[in-house]
Amino acid sequence: MSLLSIRDLVTEFESPSGTARAVDGVSFDVAPGEIFGIVGESGCGKSATCRSILRLFGGAPARIAGGRILLDGAGDLAAMRERELAQVRGRDVAFIFQDPLTALNPTMRIGRQIGEVIRRHRDVTRAEARDAALQLLRDVHVTSPERRLDAYPHELSGGLRQRVVIAMALALRPRLIIADEPTTALDVTVQDQILRLLKERCDSLGTSIILITHDLGVVSQICDRMAVMYAGRVVETGAVREVLDAPSHPYTRALLAALPGQVGRDSELVPIGGAPPSLIDPPPGCRFAPRCVFAQPQCRIGAPPALRARAGAGEGHLDACILNEVCHAAA
Amino acid sequence: MPLLDFQKVERRFPVKRSFADLLARRERVHLHAVRGVDLSVQPGEILGIVGESGCGKSTLARIGVGLQPSDGGRVLFDGRPLAGPDRAGRLQMVFPDPYSSLNPRLTIGVQLEEVVAHYRPRMARAERRAEVLRVLAEVSLVPETALKYPHALSGGQRQRVSIARALCADPQVLVADEPVSALDASVQAQIINLLKSLNREKGLTIVFISHDMNVVRYLCDRVAVMYLGEIVELQESAALFAAPRHPYTQALIAAVPDVRRPQSLREPVTGEIPDPFSVLPGCRFAPRCRLAEDACRTPQPMQTLDGGGLVRCWKSVRTGA
Repeated sequence: MSLLSIRDLVTEFESPSGTARAVDGVSFDVAPGEIFGIVGESGCGKSATCRSILRLFGGAPARIAGGRILLDGAGDLAAMRERELAQVRGRDVAFIFQDPLTALNPTMRIGRQIGEVIRRHRDVTRAEARDAALQLLRDVHVTSPERRLDAYPHELSGGLRQRVVIAMALALRPRLIIADEPTTALDVTVQDQILRLLKERCDSLGTSIILITHDLGVVSQICDRMAVMYAGRVVETGAVREVLDAPSHPYTRALLAALPGQVGRDSELVPIGGAPPSLIDPPPGCRFAPRCVFAQPQCRIGAPPALRARAGAGEGHLDACILNEVCHAAA
Repeated sequence: MPLLDFQKVERRFPVKRSFADLLARRERVHLHAVRGVDLSVQPGEILGIVGESGCGKSTLARIGVGLQPSDGGRVLFDGRPLAGPDRAGRLQMVFPDPYSSLNPRLTIGVQLEEVVAHYRPRMARAERRAEVLRVLAEVSLVPETALKYPHALSGGQRQRVSIARALCADPQVLVADEPVSALDASVQAQIINLLKSLNREKGLTIVFISHDMNVVRYLCDRVAVMYLGEIVELQESAALFAAPRHPYTQALIAAVPDVRRPQSLREPVTGEIPDPFSVLPGCRFAPRCRLAEDACRTPQPMQTLDGGGLVRCWKSVRTGA
């Protein structure tokens, strides 16, 4: 049984030059306790997909134009009214943003801020909320938590702020946390600490995570399963070790081949030529075809190809490439 | 002889005092961004400078091209002390953000031609234009790019233009400050390949500033690791990544996520880079170091390793850890 099932999600953004389908027919499932990674380059729709779940578009002219977002026990979030959805936010599903400084209220002390999340959904006194906030700070290994309760966000380092944001996300014991590039603004030694913290807390509480990142290394570190997105669609999905160790879609392969950590100093990196297509008027067929070195005429016609299992692939390992195994073996 | 030679370079930034500080007659405090850095750049090499935010790597880069003065020590370029930007344009810089470092109101051709005209004023107009087209080709941009404005280009194309602009001055040293950090991985690879070929084919000396260990490992011949204003380790790239000697370098390399492997069980380094105002004497990494002992709280001179590398940690030399 899945905790979250997204089916054929379509999200559109209005722009002066037309309607852009940032998310175009995305489906995936997240199991209880699982860490699910979504990777892709800028503009691929990974953030738009996850913001659609709680409809957190930050005032952008966006709307969910189709599909279902089924949360176990809560129904279809895509069909919910704003008032109902407000109850889901924080209680069932929490969100962690990339920049912890903008996610925190600069004029409110840390303890009060965490306490307010609790008091919004539960009938507790201020003192009880403060005690709960203190315990949450301990849980995310904040040093001298008593002192931090009375600190303002600007008095904390980047890593500590992100720990506070994680504490707030965990405050109501949500079943799902959506983390949008949670470590991108942090230094690499601090990123390592935060990724370990997220995994440790979610393992012990049984919380699921959807982790959005542009960094395949981050997915490799803590995710169980993953999806690779390109131009608004999922092009490959499966267990992390399957997808990263035996990628089957040409885009996933190209992404890995472009990484400098993968090759010796004497071999050339292989960049991906061209640029992603416009989402206002995307090309027919496979959207990666114009940049794909294996593309055939049949790749450039009809509807975008659906995800399918390839012969010999592991369970749940799917990709959206219509080319046959012979072509892939040549890669 | 090194082409660019940093000798005991210092840089302090005065910190603005608040009104309360003035009333209390508190002394002006300084942020010590670069502390006594000795570093020589050999002709024809790609030297990497890595470190986390606030380590002083960008400040050092700006001092190296004369965009900022140093408060102590000196920088020699081609054997002569550097005072301000080189008038002949032999030292050029590429900035991290290709969006804000180009003039949005001028076409690419006009911007590049300006640079050529400035450094080679005797060149005839037709020759200048030919030179711009030659440089565009060198960074793999089509000639039509000259007629476009920056907004019409992708991020990768813009960063190529930034590099082309530096090349228009016909430099001997290119100092590139995080030139690929703002780019997606697929585009990043194009720029890295370009820098590598400029070095291999033209013999251009490159100082490459980055926080990305994977990029540095791939591109650089030698690597200097900075922490809180000091170089803590300097080695050939292959040696540094195969056997990092300073505990900070070890922690930095171990923290880089690897696409081939899941997270290791190794304990991560604790804490964060401390407030630069409150650092203790001695090794600056000691408060976060698992090997630290009392002797680490005294000033740490650079130690020379067997292979010629340098490390600022007495323990890593003695124990070979």
